[in-house]
Amino acid sequence: MISVRDLSVRFGETTVLHSVSFDVAKGESFALLGESGSGKSTILKALSGQVTDWTGALQIADTVLRPGHRARLARTVQMVFQDPFGSLHPRRTLDDTLSEPLAIHGQPDRDKRVLAMLDAVGLPRRFRFRLPHQLSGGQRQRVAIARALMLDPPVLLLDEPTSALDVSVQAEILNLLKSLQEEKGLTFLLVTHDLPVVSFMCDRLAILRAGRIEEMADVAALRAARLESDYGQELIRRSQHG
Amino acid sequence: MTLLSVENLRVTFPSDHGPVEVVRGLSFTLGRERLGIVGESGSGKSMTGRAVMGLVAPPGRVTADRLEFEGRDLRSLPEREFRALRGPRMSMVLQDPRYSLNPVIRIGAQIEEALAVHGNLTAKDRRTRMLDALNAVRIDDPERVARLYPHEVSGGMGQRVMIAMMVVLEPALMIADEPTSALDVSVRGQVLDILDDLVKRRGMGLMLISHDLNMVARWCDRILVMYRGEVVEELGAGALHQAQHPYTRGLIASLPRLDETRDRLPVLDRSLL
Amino acid sequence: MIPTAWLLSDDPETRWQARLGQGYRLSRALLRNPLSVVGLSIIIALLLVAAFAPWLAPFSAVEGDLADRLQPPSAVHWMGTDELGRDILSRVIYGARITLGIVLLVAVIAAPLGLLIGTVAGYFGGWIDRVLMGLTDIFLSLPRLILALAFVAALGPGIENAVIAIAITAWPVYARIARAEVLTFRNAEFLDAVRMQDASSVRIIALHVMPLCLSSTIVRVTLDMAGIILTAAGLGFLGLGAQPPLPEWGAMISRGRDFILDQWWVATMPGFAIVVVSLGFCLFGDGLRDVLDPKQRGRG
Repeated sequence: MISVRDLSVRFGETTVLHSVSFDVAKGESFALLGESGSGKSTILKALSGQVTDWTGALQIADTVLRPGHRARLARTVQMVFQDPFGSLHPRRTLDDTLSEPLAIHGQPDRDKRVLAMLDAVGLPRRFRFRLPHQLSGGQRQRVAIARALMLDPPVLLLDEPTSALDVSVQAEILNLLKSLQEEKGLTFLLVTHDLPVVSFMCDRLAILRAGRIEEMADVAALRAARLESDYGQELIRRSQHG
Repeated sequence: MTLLSVENLRVTFPSDHGPVEVVRGLSFTLGRERLGIVGESGSGKSMTGRAVMGLVAPPGRVTADRLEFEGRDLRSLPEREFRALRGPRMSMVLQDPRYSLNPVIRIGAQIEEALAVHGNLTAKDRRTRMLDALNAVRIDDPERVARLYPHEVSGGMGQRVMIAMMVVLEPALMIADEPTSALDVSVRGQVLDILDDLVKRRGMGLMLISHDLNMVARWCDRILVMYRGEVVEELGAGALHQAQHPYTRGLIASLPRLDETRDRLPVLDRSLL
Repeated sequence: MIPTAWLLSDDPETRWQARLGQGYRLSRALLRNPLSVVGLSIIIALLLVAAFAPWLAPFSAVEGDLADRLQPPSAVHWMGTDELGRDILSRVIYGARITLGIVLLVAVIAAPLGLLIGTVAGYFGGWIDRVLMGLTDIFLSLPRLILALAFVAALGPGIENAVIAIAITAWPVYARIARAEVLTFRNAEFLDAVRMQDASSVRIIALHVMPLCLSSTIVRVTLDMAGIILTAAGLGFLGLGAQPPLPEWGAMISRGRDFILDQWWVATMPGFAIVVVSLGFCLFGDGLRDVLDPKQRGRG
């Protein structure tokens, strides 16, 4: 579903990604694990078209991305951002936010689909005309997930979707993402620094460090705390004793 | 020895629907130890720290039956004397160093300026103590770092500079509000080690305020778990698994684990609390 | 009467209820500030006077009785008469129409223009920003009245040309403000999110960027109204704005200047009108800023 071949990205003099390659199968949940500066978010930005200055080969579903060119990807891939406060327009109601993608693509039955989506992400229908500041962090993140799913894309990019949330709310959002994935057969590419979240959510993972993939592993290896690379082991150690 | 004792602390804010209590009758004492205060957003944990520092801005109101620091009653302390306490005797480290450092003054100069409250130091003494402080927070080449501007250092380094700025005055009490949540895991350990060192070697009292249950549990001598402005549970070091209160237990259960095999995470049922 | 609970509901059932609720909250906050109420009352009074001028004015605004020239304020002529025997109160009342017309036209032309230029420059950045802001800076660097004078001189005197000249000199401020506002959120994730939905730049600027700059622009326009009135009066005073016999306040002061020592009321009465209306817009603009833009409160 997602294919990344020899992806390199440079910002001026510094190279932030050194020919990174990986594949994600349909319906799979793949984690990019790393600390800040590892380049994990840059991969998402390249896949979502926010960064177009890259070399290599990128493909999502049937769409081949070209460097220097913003592809029309809305129905193929959508993203859930880390900060539920910055990712919603402060003056637009939930209804505005959720019907916007439908309006852009001229799709019918907006009212019905907005209500159905509110149900799907577990938001009460009476919230429909609320503004973001009337919602809690967890509720906002549900709106962000709903917005990402309005056009039924097969792929979701998740950029640390729960790291800004309280732990009890994190559990609700992770459960929701997992249910939606099973229901709709979604493919997830999750960026995170949180190992336990990967254990819960993902099937496979890649560990990134300074723009290179250190190790690719099955989640079973992570759960058994048996990653092969030294850096992987170090991450496990810190996660348990940090 | 008791450094800080707090009894029945309440912080109230007015709202459209009448006064709202964000901290509701909190009591604890702090010696020369590491006290962790954990809670989720809105639990009142940060407001507790600010109340002790006398930093609750109006229209917020702080009341307590007892609020004593080093034997002095903080409740009736005039603002001028309180200001003399903040810095030399008690200080606070916040989450994001970028907002706490002055962007246009070199790091060394900022730390030396913090020393100015001591007054009677020569410029040479100040410089020596500034470099010592940077050394104490494990900055290898303090000479170089002292010449940098805040934007030229990483988040972890910035946080260490912040701590150095606090430490240079050798306060008796430090309140650290989410000191590591803006940092990478690898840097987190270092910052905590530095704080630990200060408690052990200089006999400082530390209040560590955080949302990270595991981190606080691993690292503090005692933990207070706060929920809706009240302490629901007090736990000893490493005794997280003995937690009794349904809120604490719910929180622990809802955290994913490294060897996670559950298909769904249990969600905290707030109606039971 | 609509129940307030319905307006203040956290869970409105329709778009309209949500909008009305927001409007209600806004006006309630505005009415809590006594000074903005004073400003609003003055503006409403100006609107009413302008609308009902023919019924309110006791005499004609353009025809006078030469026998009654330069009469001091009295029971018949409350504000006295001018050098052609025209009732000054009637002229001030009709003049409200002209002032209001100028202010509205300038706001309608300059504010959207400035908003558009500012948001486009701020959103795209790069060379578009440099070109548009360079243009803005050229306009900003020239004194407003002098620039307006130059335009009127080129276009010819008259009230329409005065409006155009003032509008041309007024937009750069709005462009600057809008651009500064856009720069604070142009990298925000909510814009990344709409971009990922394949929204066009036109759509993003019109529906997502502009609404966020709107409140600061409205506040600025209200605060600028006083300046616009003064510029219009200034042009009138110099004989380049409204032409006689139109009862424009600035032109009236200009005429009264010749008798200012002996017949003070001729210049003073329209001057009062200018001061009161300018003050009204200023007070209202201040209140509006407090409500729409709470983070600016307490700053200049």
